[in-house]
Amino acid sequence: MNDALSPDSRWLSSRVRGIGLMLRVLILASTVLAVGCTWLAAGHTVPIVNVVIFSLALVCVALPDSHVGLLVVLVVGVEWLATVHDRATPWSVGAAVSLAVLHASTAAASVAPPAATWTRAMCRRWMRRSLAVMVASGGTWVVVAAIHGHHVASSAVLIAASLVTIAIAGLWARDGTLDAGPRT
Amino acid sequence: MKPGGCWQPTTAHARALLGGVLLAVAAVLARRPDLLVLATPLVGAAVWAVRLRPLCLPHVTHSIGHGVVREGEATTWHIEVRDAEGRVDDVAAVLEATTWIDRQPVNGQVVVSLRDDGDQPLSMVIRPTRWGARRVGPALVVASSAWAGFRCAPTGETNAHTLLALPQSSRFDASAPPVRTPGLVGVNRSPRQGSGTEFASIRPFQPGDRLRRIHWAQSLRTGTLHVTSTWADHDRHVVLLIDALNDVGESGGIDGRASSLDVSLRAAGAIAEHYISTGDRVALAVIGSRGVQRLPPATGYRQLRRMLEVMASIEPPTDLADDGRMPRGLGQGALVVMLSPLVSPTALQRAVTIAEHGLTVLVIDCLPADITRSDPDDPYVEIAWRIRLLEREREIRRVGEAGIAVVPWRGPGSLDVVLRDLHRHAGVRMVRRR
Repeated sequence: MNDALSPDSRWLSSRVRGIGLMLRVLILASTVLAVGCTWLAAGHTVPIVNVVIFSLALVCVALPDSHVGLLVVLVVGVEWLATVHDRATPWSVGAAVSLAVLHASTAAASVAPPAATWTRAMCRRWMRRSLAVMVASGGTWVVVAAIHGHHVASSAVLIAASLVTIAIAGLWARDGTLDAGPRT
Repeated sequence: MKPGGCWQPTTAHARALLGGVLLAVAAVLARRPDLLVLATPLVGAAVWAVRLRPLCLPHVTHSIGHGVVREGEATTWHIEVRDAEGRVDDVAAVLEATTWIDRQPVNGQVVVSLRDDGDQPLSMVIRPTRWGARRVGPALVVASSAWAGFRCAPTGETNAHTLLALPQSSRFDASAPPVRTPGLVGVNRSPRQGSGTEFASIRPFQPGDRLRRIHWAQSLRTGTLHVTSTWADHDRHVVLLIDALNDVGESGGIDGRASSLDVSLRAAGAIAEHYISTGDRVALAVIGSRGVQRLPPATGYRQLRRMLEVMASIEPPTDLADDGRMPRGLGQGALVVMLSPLVSPTALQRAVTIAEHGLTVLVIDCLPADITRSDPDDPYVEIAWRIRLLEREREIRRVGEAGIAVVPWRGPGSLDVVLRDLHRHAGVRMVRRR
């Protein structure tokens, strides 16, 4: 973390009001919810990892416009991968919803200054879009649950095809992110 | 519209893209489809953000409602954002402001949804709480796209504005007759008879009297020519002399405590407004300030505006010594109203110097009444002030013995008694030229 940011972040955090405060509470709540879903899906948990996740979430509250949020997502994913063994558990929807809320609230907190008053239209739009990606997670879980009962043989071709698909999607996203090109 | 080079991916977009892709890759490599469920919202947000990425720079214009206001009055800072492409979601702005500027909303932070709230401008109410030239802005404007995936801070010409806050005049009124001045044009009755409009008497004809002044009825009755005499009309020439060598006391702005310079300027504004409203010529001279130090006498509300602008530009220096010279522009017969906290003996000496040149001088004491209020950090301040005020009383008494009136500023009517006395003793030279 950039040391120079710390005083500013403290100053900004002390001026958080209204929706800005609610978004920061949501960041913490969604992190706790994600850890809780992982715990419930696995039946056990690793306390030290939970402490790390919660600490990162606290940093995220102070610095929503930082890459700490990505660390939270990745550590939650690693914990899920390491502890959960039921591949069709419905708790994955809960964890996905938590990550969606975490991402949306962190992104929303970085949109406006902490003391700014949000308009109702802004709140509605952010909630509408968050709900859409949550529903998409539910749809993915339905597909996963549907194919869970079927035994699929291990296939190198299938894995390679999946990786290529992800790579193409990633390249498309990278181009869209970095090389939009000037327009008039 | 300009080429869109300013749209940059945000940390939120990096989180959605990298988090989603890494979870998806882990799902494939570890054969864990449940990780795809976790990756879905992130991938969805990333794709959404890329699909709705703006390509053109939004056009931002800044404007301020009024460039000149009175202290305590509010004006509005407008920020208008035009997005022809329609892909900008949210626009946030933070307005910087110097001290003595209140902003509403607090901290000058606003955000609107350009997509949902339309093209309504971002508005911030700004209110100067103390006179002076105050810098407002620049305003940092940041536009965000869908899911806060891309952000743009349009840069243009510097949008800082200078807001001139004129002193808020105190309430003032004076019913005292004018001090005698040599001018023969104006709205006030001169103590001398001459060509005017107000009736004085009917007297025998003298060589030089105008024929149209002959009072025929009286002339026929008495058998000798009589004429109607009138009082001459004249205007006042008032010079406001502001002592800006010291700014004593703590200023809390228009809503709080007043420093000596606050009292001086608000009183000067009130006096100027009063005399200009009665058609008199008013001039301004400032001692101990950088920049404009004098304004020649003139009448009318434009002169009042100029005077207030000069007052608002006063910057009390701490290193500027009083040269003790006679201020320029003090015309013969002018009434000099000096506004000073009188903490420095040089200010009183200055008043004596002016009086020695034959001008009528009236000193208004602008020292705040609560100047001796104890400082919790330094208990000796109160004692020091009490000692200094005793010395000051003695100095003021000496000046009073020399014929210069010193009155404290108390608002409406505070000058009436002394102005009546000056009118009564008009022409009596109280201080002899050395």
